[in-house]
Amino acid sequence: MTDTPTEGGGEQTETGDGQPTGDGPPTGEQPDPEASTEEQPEPDAPTDAGRPSVLVPLQVLEGESLPNGTPELLANARVVLLGYHVIPEQTATEQAREQFGEKAMSKLGEFADTLAAAGADVETRLVFTHDEATTVDRLIYEYECLAVLVPNSTERVDSVLVALRGTVGVGRNTRLVAGLFADAGVDVTLYHALNEGESPDDGESFLDGVRADLIKRGVAADRIETLVEDADAPLDAIAGRAESHDAVVMGETDPSVTTFVFGMPSEQVAERFLGPVLVVQRERPEE
Amino acid sequence: MDRSDPPGSSGPSGPSGTADPPDASGSTDGSGPSRAGVEVPDTLAAVVDADTGEGELERTIGLVGGLAIGVGTMIGAGIFVFPGLAAENAGPAASLSFAIGAVVALLVALPASELATAMPRSGGGYFFISRGLGTAAGAVVGLGLWLGLVFAAAFYLVGLGSYAGQVFLEAGIALPIDPAVPLGVAFGVGLTALSLFGTENTAALQNGIVILLLVILTLFLSYGSLDALGVFGAERVPERFFPPGGTLPVLQTAALVFTSYLGFAQVATVAGDITEPSRNLPLAMVGSVLLVGVFYVVTIFVATSAFGSARLGEFGETAMVEVARSFVGLPGALAIVVAGLLATFSSANASILSASRAVYAVSRDGVIPETASRLNLAYGTPHVALGLAGGPIVVLAATGRVALLAEVASFLHLVMYGLICVALIRLRRERPSWYDPAFRCPAGFAVAGVGGLASVALIAFMQPASIGVGAAIMIAAYGWYRYYATDVELKGDF
Repeated sequence: MTDTPTEGGGEQTETGDGQPTGDGPPTGEQPDPEASTEEQPEPDAPTDAGRPSVLVPLQVLEGESLPNGTPELLANARVVLLGYHVIPEQTATEQAREQFGEKAMSKLGEFADTLAAAGADVETRLVFTHDEATTVDRLIYEYECLAVLVPNSTERVDSVLVALRGTVGVGRNTRLVAGLFADAGVDVTLYHALNEGESPDDGESFLDGVRADLIKRGVAADRIETLVEDADAPLDAIAGRAESHDAVVMGETDPSVTTFVFGMPSEQVAERFLGPVLVVQRERPEE
Repeated sequence: MDRSDPPGSSGPSGPSGTADPPDASGSTDGSGPSRAGVEVPDTLAAVVDADTGEGELERTIGLVGGLAIGVGTMIGAGIFVFPGLAAENAGPAASLSFAIGAVVALLVALPASELATAMPRSGGGYFFISRGLGTAAGAVVGLGLWLGLVFAAAFYLVGLGSYAGQVFLEAGIALPIDPAVPLGVAFGVGLTALSLFGTENTAALQNGIVILLLVILTLFLSYGSLDALGVFGAERVPERFFPPGGTLPVLQTAALVFTSYLGFAQVATVAGDITEPSRNLPLAMVGSVLLVGVFYVVTIFVATSAFGSARLGEFGETAMVEVARSFVGLPGALAIVVAGLLATFSSANASILSASRAVYAVSRDGVIPETASRLNLAYGTPHVALGLAGGPIVVLAATGRVALLAEVASFLHLVMYGLICVALIRLRRERPSWYDPAFRCPAGFAVAGVGGLASVALIAFMQPASIGVGAAIMIAAYGWYRYYATDVELKGDF
């Protein structure tokens, strides 16, 4: 898991000085095999937290384009830009690629250029598929993506709402938030709706712990707010709170329900909020 | 997957082995990100799916899906259409006819599996033959496969119409004419429209239908077998096993019912969509033949034990309904009617889709004009190819000549099977550099040799009319090749 940030860190220095060719050249990667194995047990060290991988799925041929604000939002990310096209089963995927591949690839290239111009590391993939979930899931595995973006537009990126459910997997949230927004001058609001049997104090101390972690990872202390709420319907509450922010970071659906990226809660929030939602993926089991 | 493997270094061995060429987009990663992914990397899939700068292809059909395609395509005919016809011709020995068919199908499925793992691309048999034996053979087989599937689909549609007609019968509604043919034609129009405009993916539905079918059939055949062996009362007097004509009717019946085994090659036509093709393709092809073969043989045994062969023949296409009725009355009859509707429906549907894929395969190669494979962006479906499949299917279904439709379909497939075996022998001899199958057919030369001869031999036992129609189609296909596609070079072309 932790080799991604390590690797990302290496790439960052490669591309930081505006090399438009990205992290391709093998020269940047040769030292990494040793480096990544040795530095693995240090996931918490803020210095090598590197760039968080974020998957951005776009149905390019359905006219979906890169929404406004996305380049700013993901300026510090390693963006996996996934163009995909869902084809009915009666059609061979080869057939669709032959006919639409070039067009889709050139569109995707434009989006990738926009993202890279804003500072992101970009990897582009174009997939013709019969099943969206299979494709998205495969790429999450391949790139060990921390989050998937529900691509909605936003005018600016000044403040972000981070909805946290509990301690499980919270480290992935903080890595994402710190990686994306640490130096970006973005206000971060940590939000926790109380679970059953949890006192407001429990909630406060949970968020304070997260806050401390974020500060350790380089987020300015005065940029972090915390908010604990006793909400009957957490999703409604999140969607409501989100209106005063520019983007939402929230967790994936119940881990027992496997791998549907746009699981219900984040989808509902995205539908009502209409702004970008970063859905933090739970850690994928090794296979 | 290997945790310590950095993204770049596993490069082309990743599950889809993509590497955007550097010119695709200046800012994208040129190194190929693939770390080992969800499943064990399939080097074969990696090579085929390698991104050519126009995107990669997701493989979405697993082993169960592959088996469902094979079984779903085949089982409709062998169990729900043929038993009456076959028993009338060959008596209880019709189960031997089905067994012969299974052996021939297996002898072809093994070489076909080897070829499919060497070339897991959409197009199936046509692809193997055009690449292995050249354009002329490829064109004859490709056009033959299209029309073979058209005949098969028309045959399934008439079967479907018979079962739909049976619904009226069970409901006590008397119809002035036999509704099988008109209903079959109506279903043909409906299915073509569905595949043109239906963008809902139906794979899960197809898997469910096949599983439900297998459950119904297993229950029914278990009960029937026990009954036939005398567990539930007096043992039935076995009929003379061989028909009066000796072995000839058995072989003729084998040729007739071979249509029941055409489905395994359909698995190869979607080879491009199958995950881990080096493992799943051979398993799905061989497995589906074995599975349906057993079901067919047992079905005939049960059916001929329940009724005399002559009686079965009188019942015609829906003989199995009467067999079920004789065991458990109306509920049994209804269960088989439902199963028959599902089975013939899924067979017809699969054949229409395969026919359209066959059209795509030949058009991609320039054997027929490329407009035939155009996709409709709104629906994502190949509307011209589907029209070229659906139109003739409806016309043929209107003829209602079940036996002729089945035999012509078998004829055209058997020619392809024979050439698949030839292609295997030739490729193994020539060993071109690209030929590196992940699955190797055991005793390849012998299996392919016998399989090829058996395929041709089976043709000899068909009715003259079927042979005539089949041969005319092949000659016409060759004529088309001479007229249109002589400058297309496909041998070894990837």
